[in-house]
Amino acid sequence: MTRARLPLYAFLVLLFVGFLAPLVWALSGSFKPRGDIFGYPPKLLPDPFTLDNYRTLLTEQPFARWFLMSTVVAAVATVVSVFVCALAGYAFAKFRFAGKRLLFNVMFSSLSIPFAVILVPLFVILVKTGLGSPWFALIVPWVAPAFGIFMMQQYIVQSIPDSVLEAARIDGASEFGIFRTIVLPLLRPALGALGVWQFLQSYNSFLWPLVLVSDSSQYTLPLGLQTLFVSEQRQYDLVLAGAVLAVLPAVALFVLLRKQLLEGLSTGAVKG
Amino acid sequence: MTTTVAGPPGAAPARSAPKGEERRPRRPWAPYLFVSPFYLLYVLFMLVPVGVSLWLSLTEWVGLGPPHWVGLRNYRLLATDISFHRALGNTAVFVLVALCLVVPLALLIAQALNTRGLRVRDLWRTAYFVPIVVSPILVALIFGLVFDRQFGLANALLRALFGTGGADWLGDPDLARVSIALVMLWRWTGYLTVFFLAGLQNVPRELYEAAALDGAGRLRTFTTVTLPALKPVTAFVVVTSFIGAAQIFEEPYLLTGGGPAESTLSVTMFIYRAAFQRQQFGYAAAAAVVLFVLVFGLSRLFNRLLGIGRATS
Repeated sequence: MTRARLPLYAFLVLLFVGFLAPLVWALSGSFKPRGDIFGYPPKLLPDPFTLDNYRTLLTEQPFARWFLMSTVVAAVATVVSVFVCALAGYAFAKFRFAGKRLLFNVMFSSLSIPFAVILVPLFVILVKTGLGSPWFALIVPWVAPAFGIFMMQQYIVQSIPDSVLEAARIDGASEFGIFRTIVLPLLRPALGALGVWQFLQSYNSFLWPLVLVSDSSQYTLPLGLQTLFVSEQRQYDLVLAGAVLAVLPAVALFVLLRKQLLEGLSTGAVKG
Repeated sequence: MTTTVAGPPGAAPARSAPKGEERRPRRPWAPYLFVSPFYLLYVLFMLVPVGVSLWLSLTEWVGLGPPHWVGLRNYRLLATDISFHRALGNTAVFVLVALCLVVPLALLIAQALNTRGLRVRDLWRTAYFVPIVVSPILVALIFGLVFDRQFGLANALLRALFGTGGADWLGDPDLARVSIALVMLWRWTGYLTVFFLAGLQNVPRELYEAAALDGAGRLRTFTTVTLPALKPVTAFVVVTSFIGAAQIFEEPYLLTGGGPAESTLSVTMFIYRAAFQRQQFGYAAAAAVVLFVLVFGLSRLFNRLLGIGRATS
């Protein structure tokens, strides 16, 4: 490393610490007794070290149920939305049809509709029509994100040659058969990226579940943790442990598919 | 969810459908069938709610019984509602923070990460991106602790470095805004860095070599080579950040509850409060329509100004 590079690395390390310090602090705090979390000066290593926060959380709070609720909802939403996006993205990338341009622009402009605008009516509609069950309402309104279609469309244009599709057509494959047996497998990296993104969106979502779910037996993780957070005695110790456990699946997914995610996200943005 | 955050990149380049190799299929209905799930969901969960929002905004409704038609009264009330003005002002501040702090910092980091021969690039890139994986409740919790007046990390750090550190981070109106801004910075910078870095890696090396031959310094190279080449990405990032910051909710809701004295109340929080805490559904809908007009209109304007769709050099 040359001397000239020193400021650069100093900058990167400083940011590194800045970005990770709060997380490390939370991780360490989750192993401290409640009184120590606020100890001054803050200690990096928990001393005494305790697993009590985790034990209490898992035995005295319905943490497992929150966790199950969140992961199942997010998994279903992810699978469905990835499929819907790939299908539409493929049509936009590889077919010519009347009204395509209009449909594409309509799809795209939906990205600038703020969620807060549909929050109230969506709640009213779903509750009044009896479709407000979390299993439906936490999943279905979110399975067709325009961003995902755009991402798929960009990826398909760049990476799936027409000749492959042409050959399949000459062999007499049906249009959907081509999609299923040729396009989907070739799309795998992009599907992974969109899948992680969609999973994180659903798994971490807060405002919509906060509005929609009133029955505490159907709380998602963020809602459950919030009850500990806003309760009378602010159970920081439990929330910290819960937050660490909650973030594990997200981090695991991210680590596994990090490369695809980071590259997939920027598909489309680069060329504008 | 696609909610309050800089969500999935939502820049909405109003580009035309891409050209390229396309063909007319043997079964002309196939593409319509393929896009139909999206449009079905789009109509049901986007268009219909927007329509209902417009209609609700002209009524008074507590959530029970039939809504009363009141015409434009909700809008007239909003025009004189100091809380709503505060919410708009605060949201404008958060948007400015996103555009004037988060975006430039992301560009700076991307520039640093793009240095040739940088070691462990992947480690840096990952570390800066990690906050995006963390759920808002955890973010709020951590920063609630960081900003704690007595024992928080922020004051501990200030005390260690400067010997003073009694700042009331979340209790003082101005500082509360600063705190929210810091959280935004922490949460979104790494995410935006991903886009800038991808853009930088796409700049043809020859352009830099040509600039070097011309004897351009670092700043000149940046303004004449890097920035123009980054224009599409920048446009994308700016519009995405704008749309995201304009709907900020979780940070103020969880960290400050919109306080103190409504100094961090955002428009989305205002809507949430009106509808779900005060049962003023019509009033909330009217505020939502105002937000819609502002966000939709301004993001169109940004698109036009930044030339998305015709910026490829």
